[in-house]
Amino acid sequence: MTRALRFGLVAIAVAALITFPYWSAGWESSRFATTVLRDVLVFAIFALSLDLLIGRAGMPSLGHAAFFGAGAYAAGIASQRLGTDQLPITMGAAILVATALALIIGALVVRSEGIFFLMLTLALAQIVFAIAFQWTSVTGGSNGLSGVGRPVIGGLDLTAADRMYVLVAVVFIAVALLLSRIVGSPYGRALVGVRENERRMRALGYDTTRLRLSAFVLAGAIAGVAGALSAYSLRFVSAQDVGIATSVRGFVMVLIGGAGSLFGPVLGAAVVMYIERVLSSAIPVAETVLGLVFVAFVLLARQGIVGVGLAAWARVRR
Amino acid sequence: MSPELVFQQALNGLSFGALLFILAAGLSLVFGMMDVVNLAHGAFYMLGAYVALSVVQRTGSFWLAMVVAPLALAALGLVLEPLLLRRLRGRHLDQVLLTIGVSLVVVDQIGVVWGREVRSLAAPAGLDGSVALYGGDYPLYRLFVIGFGVALAALLSYVYSRTKVGMRIRAGVEDAEMLGALGVDTDRLFALTFAAGAALAGLAGVVAAPVFGLQPGMDLDALLYSLVVVVVGGLGTLGGAVAGSVLVGPADTFGKVVFQEFALAVIFAIVALVLLLKPTGLLGRIRIAR
Amino acid sequence: MGEFKKNELAEKRGYSYRLTRRQFLVATSAAALAACGPAAVAPGATGSAAASPGKTLKIGQLLPFTGVYSELGNSMRRATELYLKLNDNKLANRPVQLIYEDDANVTATGIQKTQKFIDQDQVDVMMGVVPTPLAYGIRNAVHAAKMIFIDTNAGGNFLTRDVPNCTPACKSPYIFRASFSSYQISYPIGDYLSAKGTKDFFLAYANYGFGTESAADFTTGAKKNGGNITGNVAPPLGNADFAPFVTQIKNQPTKNVYSFFSGADAVGFIKTWNQLGLPAAGYKMYGAGFLTEQDVLKEVKDLANGAVTSLFWAVELDNPENKKFVADFQKQYPLLPDVFTVQQYDGMRALDEALKKLGGDTSDKDKFSKALEDVTFKSPRGDFAFDKSTHNPIQDIYLREVKTQNGQTVNTITDKIAKVTDPGK
Repeated sequence: MTRALRFGLVAIAVAALITFPYWSAGWESSRFATTVLRDVLVFAIFALSLDLLIGRAGMPSLGHAAFFGAGAYAAGIASQRLGTDQLPITMGAAILVATALALIIGALVVRSEGIFFLMLTLALAQIVFAIAFQWTSVTGGSNGLSGVGRPVIGGLDLTAADRMYVLVAVVFIAVALLLSRIVGSPYGRALVGVRENERRMRALGYDTTRLRLSAFVLAGAIAGVAGALSAYSLRFVSAQDVGIATSVRGFVMVLIGGAGSLFGPVLGAAVVMYIERVLSSAIPVAETVLGLVFVAFVLLARQGIVGVGLAAWARVRR
Repeated sequence: MSPELVFQQALNGLSFGALLFILAAGLSLVFGMMDVVNLAHGAFYMLGAYVALSVVQRTGSFWLAMVVAPLALAALGLVLEPLLLRRLRGRHLDQVLLTIGVSLVVVDQIGVVWGREVRSLAAPAGLDGSVALYGGDYPLYRLFVIGFGVALAALLSYVYSRTKVGMRIRAGVEDAEMLGALGVDTDRLFALTFAAGAALAGLAGVVAAPVFGLQPGMDLDALLYSLVVVVVGGLGTLGGAVAGSVLVGPADTFGKVVFQEFALAVIFAIVALVLLLKPTGLLGRIRIAR
Repeated sequence: MGEFKKNELAEKRGYSYRLTRRQFLVATSAAALAACGPAAVAPGATGSAAASPGKTLKIGQLLPFTGVYSELGNSMRRATELYLKLNDNKLANRPVQLIYEDDANVTATGIQKTQKFIDQDQVDVMMGVVPTPLAYGIRNAVHAAKMIFIDTNAGGNFLTRDVPNCTPACKSPYIFRASFSSYQISYPIGDYLSAKGTKDFFLAYANYGFGTESAADFTTGAKKNGGNITGNVAPPLGNADFAPFVTQIKNQPTKNVYSFFSGADAVGFIKTWNQLGLPAAGYKMYGAGFLTEQDVLKEVKDLANGAVTSLFWAVELDNPENKKFVADFQKQYPLLPDVFTVQQYDGMRALDEALKKLGGDTSDKDKFSKALEDVTFKSPRGDFAFDKSTHNPIQDIYLREVKTQNGQTVNTITDKIAKVTDPGK
């Protein structure tokens, strides 16, 4: 494939993705499909940020929902307290709060590894959850935060379902591009180096703790963006957004899709959300199906969906 | 807090800790021996409780349930390990995904078979009363749980230190590869270990059922608590599981009533505190598992 | 669960809209893969609102069928299907199509499925919703879409009240509630007990929105007549071990304990209460009715004896409508109806009555709302009417004491507080 051809194909795919609500408008289920796809993309952003930790830096976080939730709450609370619908302000608040929280939690966890890292991130995220659940005067507590402001940029109101979708899709593309740049950069390769052999990287003069922390904070900030998008989409923030189920969902999306690849987490998000949101109303035992899908992926698709795809591609080319 | 109150809460904490030990022992064994974090441990616990419910409904015998449920879970473990886990050795993330998948299936199928209502199991005859202690009546069954936990710890400790199986287990925890090189059939040993871990989860389900009841969601609570105990205590050793449960049981009990508004987070604050002060847990050695 | 298994549900869910479902699956799959080209365009989208008499009436039911509340979802589905069966599957001469969606007790999922009812299914009316956070989460979308929504469980006070800034929720012309507000099951019993001379209370409640709301409303009621709250314990929702909290209760002097727990929490609380010997020590249990509903009583049995709770219904309630309702239900299912069944059944009845007045025409949502406001009927719980200003039911609240008679543990009615209305703000 020539470079130009590949670029063209990607450009067409991106354009098709962003304009989905318009070219699908004739379908009976276009509007619902748009909301499902919107939520898939929100979670794809979340999964992409988590994959930076799991797939690149080798930091299996089971508490990533803390930053998703922090972003969602920050966007919602900022719009209410500051009385503004301006997206640059509310999104800015989301990124700021998620980044700050990631700095705090990151500073505590970056030195631990493996199962300890997993448990420490889980524990600290659960503490954040408990705060969100109990601090009713600020977060709405168990009742959730309702009446989240509209996303508005200047004079452009993005509340309508189709515009909201375009906003999410554009942010998704931007995040994907950013991450693909980062992964290919010397910084991204250094992260992988830390995962593969931390001692050697240290010997080479890298400050590995700082590398790990920077990845953790970057991933937290992007998760905060995903959280803010979720808050705009649903106009509601639930304490569940910070809960362990959300962390596990992200974890599973990364693993199913294939950790350490750009498309993997996105496909993983699509598969999980599809089963949860769409298939669940058509079949009675959705959780059993979801569980069996996990098992099947582990046994049959070692590197996730992307791994299977690459293997098939390699066979075709041979 | 009056001294009577402290005494009674200490008993609550110890009996809770004893339940946590029964629950965490299996998880710890599987982790130490096989280097597998079995996230289906909570689902196995739940299944043990429901099997016990059926046994008690059919036969009326709680004691029979305490035998049948662990055996049923051991059988399940014996099937699952060779079928699913064996080919994933050393692939930690795949193990995580696989065991999450298994637990989803098990829990959903429990709902299909037993329904999703709240159920409960009475303490066995003879243990359903209470005895007068300092500060008032105290339920006999909770005292039995403390005794049972201590007895189980003693038994496991004996098996570990005095028997041939225990020797192999200790050797396996130290270095499973070397054990294989020395001619021990590690496939068989791992299958048996996993079965024993599942049986312990099932046993915990039976013993805990009269105290905690049976309901959807119990699997996740059990999993989180057992992970906490194992990590706090230090991974993969019997002593670690004992230390973890003796700390976490009372600390959670007192923490919940003293810091009521923060009750949800007490358990996790304990984890964070312990791991930040001692990154490998109370009795943990340096052992990094990725 | 008897004959009511999930595969049956699948058939029931699938039969009437399988075609659109499949088109949709194809469509979203294609979209998810970002496939270009309109290969999956659904042919012949009908697009008609189908809101006129004689045409199929679409009812969207948002209920939990997985997760901790799934048994409530099952109860409410039984009620829906019983009502339709007794009415030849028609409401106001319109054949009924039920569309069940499972929120799985995940708020985000529930919000999205509500959007599906609005956008894709274009239902004529929506019912259900178990958790209060979900009801609050969908409130604005329902209101904006002018979709009639009959809440058949979620009892958070704000859903039917005037609330500044509508945070976390507020009343809507299009939202009706056929269940209760937490005020109604908590305030009257506090008022009643303190008026009868019981003044000091200790509180025990699950520490989440609904539990704290119930405790606060009880407190207001008790204080009205000079009552006094001496302290509280508040275990987290879904707490496993109740011993620490019941031990705290036992080590304080106030003997009258008002509690709000339901489901698994209620079973755990009542069992531990007995194991630690509180009845013998002279402690008395009061509570909002969910503490001693069937799901709990069948597990704790006589351990709950003596507990006094308040609710708008009890299976033993002695009136002709309830007798018929219980008999009809037991003819259909091998179990007793529970309070969730009644809520949903009354929701169906209210809908039916309103439709009859409209001649089955649901196209004008404001007329639809007016018709619902005027609905009154004799329910298994007694006289049922919507409060016109809030759309919360005006209903009698019963005081019930748990007793074991002939081996059956039941809620016996001891008194009635007539026509309890939510204050609305």
